[in-house]
Amino acid sequence: MDRSNVKTLQDLVRLAAEEYGDKAYLKEKGAPGEIIETSFKTFFENAKRVTAFLASLGEEKIHAAVIGTTSSAYLTAYFGTVLGGNVTVPLDAQLACDDICDLLERADVNVFFYDSRYLPMLPQIKSVCTKIKHYISLQQTDEGQCLSAVLSSNEPANLPEVSADMLASIVYTSGTTGKAKGVMLTHGNFIDNTFCADNESSPEDTLLTVLPVHHVYCFACDILLSLRYGATVCVNDSMMRIAQNLKLFSPTIILLVPMIAETIYKQISAVSKAKGIPPAAAAKAIFGGRLKGIYSGGAYLSPELIHAYLDIGIPIAQGYGMTECSPRISTASLDDISDKGDVGRIVNGCTVKIVDGEIRVKSPSVMQGYYHNPEATAEALTEDGWLCTGDLGYVEDNRIFITGRKKNLIILSNGENVSPEELENRFASVSLAADVLVYAEEAVITAEIYPDPDEAAALSKEELISRIKEIIDKINLTLPSAKAIRRIRLREKEFDKTTSKKIKRNQTEHGELI
Amino acid sequence: MFEQLKELITNYVEADPDSITMDSRFIEDLSFNSYDFMSLLGELEDTLGVQMDEQEVVKLSTVGDAVKYLESIKK
Repeated sequence: MDRSNVKTLQDLVRLAAEEYGDKAYLKEKGAPGEIIETSFKTFFENAKRVTAFLASLGEEKIHAAVIGTTSSAYLTAYFGTVLGGNVTVPLDAQLACDDICDLLERADVNVFFYDSRYLPMLPQIKSVCTKIKHYISLQQTDEGQCLSAVLSSNEPANLPEVSADMLASIVYTSGTTGKAKGVMLTHGNFIDNTFCADNESSPEDTLLTVLPVHHVYCFACDILLSLRYGATVCVNDSMMRIAQNLKLFSPTIILLVPMIAETIYKQISAVSKAKGIPPAAAAKAIFGGRLKGIYSGGAYLSPELIHAYLDIGIPIAQGYGMTECSPRISTASLDDISDKGDVGRIVNGCTVKIVDGEIRVKSPSVMQGYYHNPEATAEALTEDGWLCTGDLGYVEDNRIFITGRKKNLIILSNGENVSPEELENRFASVSLAADVLVYAEEAVITAEIYPDPDEAAALSKEELISRIKEIIDKINLTLPSAKAIRRIRLREKEFDKTTSKKIKRNQTEHGELI
Repeated sequence: MFEQLKELITNYVEADPDSITMDSRFIEDLSFNSYDFMSLLGELEDTLGVQMDEQEVVKLSTVGDAVKYLESIKK
């Protein structure tokens, strides 16, 4: 696809339909044993039907939230929104209902596309989010509007003019202050990132998309790059079924986070041992026999795992980015795997500088700011347009090396970002917990608690432990499973604090594990 | 079912099979990460020929919970 013709997401989908036509863009499971294919051409036509539907609603400006797992319905709703110059708000399907309501309100959402699995949340959403006027189920439903009816009752729209600087999406990301921030990305941001590297894929490629689609990493690298290159995207219908779907779809490329790459490697070792075959043969069987390589991002991939995969003939290329940069800042190619511990080469059009050890980035992929949050925007973007990543590192031979985090964000190996403050704030109304510090210990989210001395004195140690465990269980019910507190430490001594009475994040002594 | 599950668990985490009990918690005690856990369930779907509900499996915390759930859907 010729870059000079692609300025917006509208151009990207239109040109993909023109260039790749009837070739399958999406493949997903239907009824047992059935695979449903959607061609590039049909996908564009269907998205335009959604655009026509949204135009008919008579709303001046549409902010459409989309919540659900990857499917052609989800993507049709997403692209139908942006093709008409409207704004999508992709939301994490695992969030608790209160958090979803908060984000819907803050993003000024007035149209809501939802996966019917989240139907039980609708009454609360409807009572809280009064700005939402239109609810559309992504699956067929008896009550209310659904996407299939939208598609059958609307002709493809004549698309309005959309420009590169128009806002395309507000993507929520964990903030260090505890409240999720809405990253504003334009058509131009997405397109720049879609074309920031070359020769990554081709129409012969098949991808299995396994990561959550509301993450920009998955959206940009699975969904947008496949539109550019004409590759087929196969939908993994459940995290439980990655192994089955690898065999079913035999992908040539797969995008992973380190945690999944580790899990698959364990399966390879187990199969190799159980069947008495070399690990490379086990890997071939597990990945379906056609895999050219793996792209990894979202969190740090260890050189040991890179070597382990290389030893079984599978290149694993590591990249680095963040939502605020749409997301790629650096990337590696499958024929240039590095084991130096870097996170890839800086992508085209992106400039990186190091200020006081922090990586700063300037590129056409950098966000416009945080939605309705000028303070956070001013913190993240300098006046002359540099994005402060919060990551510490250095650049050598155009490769980025990460050495740590400036801010307190916990980055789990599944790529989820967890703000410790967000979790600590959940204890605000718990009088038994005088002070709480949340951190990652061996990649496990840990809450260390110093109990209120008076309340603790009235309890036996067993009672205290059981009360604290009950509190944590209750808090975990309000959190997506990836963010749940899985380890608890109980302190007898108060935390070391700064002169302004803030808990120091680097404690020399820790409480006992309970 | 318990014995079968124990055997599969040791493919994912380094655990002494004798130390695994019905009360063992997948994440806290056996050091499963969320993807190990989901993959284990997928392998069980294949082995036992059952279909699991993703909304239900996220509630499984202990080996005993999993055994109980698997027995209920196998019927």
